[in-house]
Amino acid sequence: MTDNGALLAATGITKQFGGIVALDHVNLDVRPGEAVGIVGPNGAGKTTFFNCLFGLEEPDEGTVVFAGRRIDRLPVWKRSRLGIGRTFQRMELFEGMTVADHLLVAEQAASGTVRIWRDLLHRGGPTPSELHHVEEGLDRLGLAALADRPIDTLDLGHARLVELGRAMMGKPRLLMLDEPSSGLDAEDTARLGRILVETRRSTGVAVVLVEHDLALVETTVDRLVVLNFGKVLATGGVADVLADPEVRRAYLGVVS
Amino acid sequence: MTQFLNYAIPGVPFGCVFALMAVGLVLTYKASGVFNLAFGAQAFVSALAYVSLIQDDWPRWAAGVIAVLVIGPFVGVLLDRLLFRRIRTASPLVKLVPSLGLLVALPQLALIIAGSEPAIPPPAFVGNAQRVYLHLGSVPISGLELSISAVTVVVVVALVVLFRFTPVGLEMRAVVESPRMTELAGVNAGRVSAFAWILSSIMAALAGVLLAPLYSQLDPQNFTVLLVWGIAGAVIGRFSSLPLALVGGLALGIAQQVVAGYMPAGVIANGLRPSLPFVVLLVFLPLTRQRQLDDPLSTCDPPSSAVERTTSGYHSASTLAVDGGGAHRVGLWHQRLVGGGIARRSGLLTRRPTATLAWAVATLAVVSALTWVPPDWLLTMNQGVAFAIIFLSLTLLTGMTGQISLCQATFAGLGGFMAGQLANHTGLPVVLGMVAGGLLAALLGVLVAIPTLRLAGLPLALATLAFALLADNILFPNSWIGNGAGGVTLPRPSAGPVSFAAAKPFFLLSLVVLAVAAGVVKLVGDGTMGRYLSAIRGSELAASSVGLDVYRLRVLVFALSAALAGVGGALFGSLEGSLSPDSFGYQISAVLLVVVAIVGLNSITGAVVAGVVYATLQVAVTTLPSRFAGLVAVLFGLATLSYTRHPEGFLDYLGARTQHAIARRRAEGRGPPTAMPDTGAGVGAAVGDTTSPVGEGA
Repeated sequence: MTDNGALLAATGITKQFGGIVALDHVNLDVRPGEAVGIVGPNGAGKTTFFNCLFGLEEPDEGTVVFAGRRIDRLPVWKRSRLGIGRTFQRMELFEGMTVADHLLVAEQAASGTVRIWRDLLHRGGPTPSELHHVEEGLDRLGLAALADRPIDTLDLGHARLVELGRAMMGKPRLLMLDEPSSGLDAEDTARLGRILVETRRSTGVAVVLVEHDLALVETTVDRLVVLNFGKVLATGGVADVLADPEVRRAYLGVVS
Repeated sequence: MTQFLNYAIPGVPFGCVFALMAVGLVLTYKASGVFNLAFGAQAFVSALAYVSLIQDDWPRWAAGVIAVLVIGPFVGVLLDRLLFRRIRTASPLVKLVPSLGLLVALPQLALIIAGSEPAIPPPAFVGNAQRVYLHLGSVPISGLELSISAVTVVVVVALVVLFRFTPVGLEMRAVVESPRMTELAGVNAGRVSAFAWILSSIMAALAGVLLAPLYSQLDPQNFTVLLVWGIAGAVIGRFSSLPLALVGGLALGIAQQVVAGYMPAGVIANGLRPSLPFVVLLVFLPLTRQRQLDDPLSTCDPPSSAVERTTSGYHSASTLAVDGGGAHRVGLWHQRLVGGGIARRSGLLTRRPTATLAWAVATLAVVSALTWVPPDWLLTMNQGVAFAIIFLSLTLLTGMTGQISLCQATFAGLGGFMAGQLANHTGLPVVLGMVAGGLLAALLGVLVAIPTLRLAGLPLALATLAFALLADNILFPNSWIGNGAGGVTLPRPSAGPVSFAAAKPFFLLSLVVLAVAAGVVKLVGDGTMGRYLSAIRGSELAASSVGLDVYRLRVLVFALSAALAGVGGALFGSLEGSLSPDSFGYQISAVLLVVVAIVGLNSITGAVVAGVVYATLQVAVTTLPSRFAGLVAVLFGLATLSYTRHPEGFLDYLGARTQHAIARRRAEGRGPPTAMPDTGAGVGAAVGDTTSPVGEGA
């Protein structure tokens, strides 16, 4: 499974909801450091596939191997600690907490120690290295000035960045982004793209990106997978795939 | 087989009543999103009306019709209009507290209105309750049993016709499925929901009137027990299926008779029957999926009002502090970093201008207690301290995690009994016994938490309620634990030459224990754990996605909370010299939760004030004439209504008011808008679709 050097290898993922086959033997390999975009029309099964990889849905069939380890029966938090970070299409933020605390929670959670006993001895606070990592994360996103702002007072563009930053804490090897541009205007999307590219360059993290905004996809991914009706319709380099007439018909609704 | 039938047939009438309650509960739960624990009280009110009317020489049929078709729906519609409709999208706690308050208050209000408790035993709706009309095999069927079964059959047939063949029935089925979707289809869900309330109230009234003759005297208590059976039936129906709830209720009625019949007499058999609901909840709750509890379109609900969100717990409290505290806080993060100190989150426990006042009052109280206060006042104050520790367990559990426990009094009782038994049987020093009591409570807390904590919110509340009932019936009567009505003695402790037997030394000891408990809550709340819990409250999904084992953290907090309650119970027992299971019944747990929720779950001060209030209330209830005691219960219930408007609790509400007044005065003194230059920038831009600017809405 991993002899091809894949960081993430999903094989034969199948998922049915009642009579509807949402995913039909979908395969995906992601090499370390590689960025793969998943595109497809609404209802193609992109988010379901994401959820199967991340553990929010259990696939009916198929295996998911991450870094040489079967993970398809592990709970979400264990997958996260193995080194998978993700963001959500419908943002999931820690309402009421500050930007810095979002990153700090993620940083501390990644180390996996339960701290209640240390809290009771008043030794449960973050370590200098944890604080340093949070600082780094804030700088990477350009959010240092907003560190103490409650998340509820941020605009959508910055909130998306916080979600990205949170997913990047604990140095994940794989970053899963579910439509990060949804709801953003062109300027915010462009900034997100820049930060994504920069993050990949500086950390070498592999990325799986579900995205509708083709401009963002083109600037950030190496390879494209097109899903349609739960099946892989095409895969390959971005330009090649987008030029494929079948893809254009299914996805763009255009026959050129 | 014959024997089985001999046991099973007498269970059918019970089953019928349970089924009516279960159906009524599911109806209103799905129609208005509120699990109506006041249902038992509604049943009592109608039963009371029924008996009172008969006492006033009304014919039985007329009394029955008025009680079931007029008074029942009237109360239901009133509750829907005044209360439940307004809290549709509120947090589970905000939904639960008022219905608990009403469960206590409604019967007392009804008794006050009725003037006196009826002197006659409740007669059956139709026929003679006691007379045997026929035999099924060898089982005699009395008029009561016959009338219950017959009425239930009629009601079920009517329900089937209503749901299958009438437009409003179809609409109601749709509302039960998804109120939001129904509304989108152009149906006035409010009207349908009102209809569901009427129907549900009729079920409650019927259950009350039908079952009343079983008891020689009407006691609200009996109807609460009835409610728990109805809840179990509703859980079998997974909160969503009316036919399953019906069958579930019926099956429970039969099962409880069969169990009682086959088991040898004794504590276990006597206890097993009333604890059957717990077993059912334990088995069926884990089978319930969250989506059966939710409206499929619930994610499309508009965000709840800003006030409610800012006040629904710890994490929001910190937001408030930041909003109100203004811009000077921005950049603190960096100061902390530069300063090299360990960054600590400073907002988990609410901090208000009133905090200084609270310290002043507390100091004054302690000094007074040790100098001039008369002994019986000191005793009340000391009780307040013991209760404060139990309330702190709720500050930790409910305030920080939003989990609702209806068995904190049970944990308190178990802790106290453990300490007492150890002291009496092994001679273990009482102070160590208190620690052991806390540990035992924690252990039991883990046992309760493991099967139930996967489902947060309402299911946990119901499971803990059932556990409290189980403890009341099986654990507390056991001579090794609560020793039944006899109770357990627990002397006051001594440490070497120092004795805490006298009032003042014991008061000081209690203060030390309270300080330790408060320290635990504060350290957990302000520490990394508090940050984790805050994150989980914000988004459980995101919390697990960054690697937090949400389930394990919840179990841990639940156990710690149980331990605090156990220690508090042991301290209370030692203060009183003995503990009786009556002091720790399931209804006490409900009252405790309501009291601390009203006063304030977000701060240690809240728990302490709640402790003093509760101790004072108890004195009031026991010393006032019984008429006024009822009045206290009614006021208590009405306080829960105001709670829905100020779920942050009375103290935080007061604090916020004070803060605003101060801010306004400063602003007036200084002239316009230099205050808060920075926080305004982001406010007004909605973040995502769940969040919107949070402010106090001055």
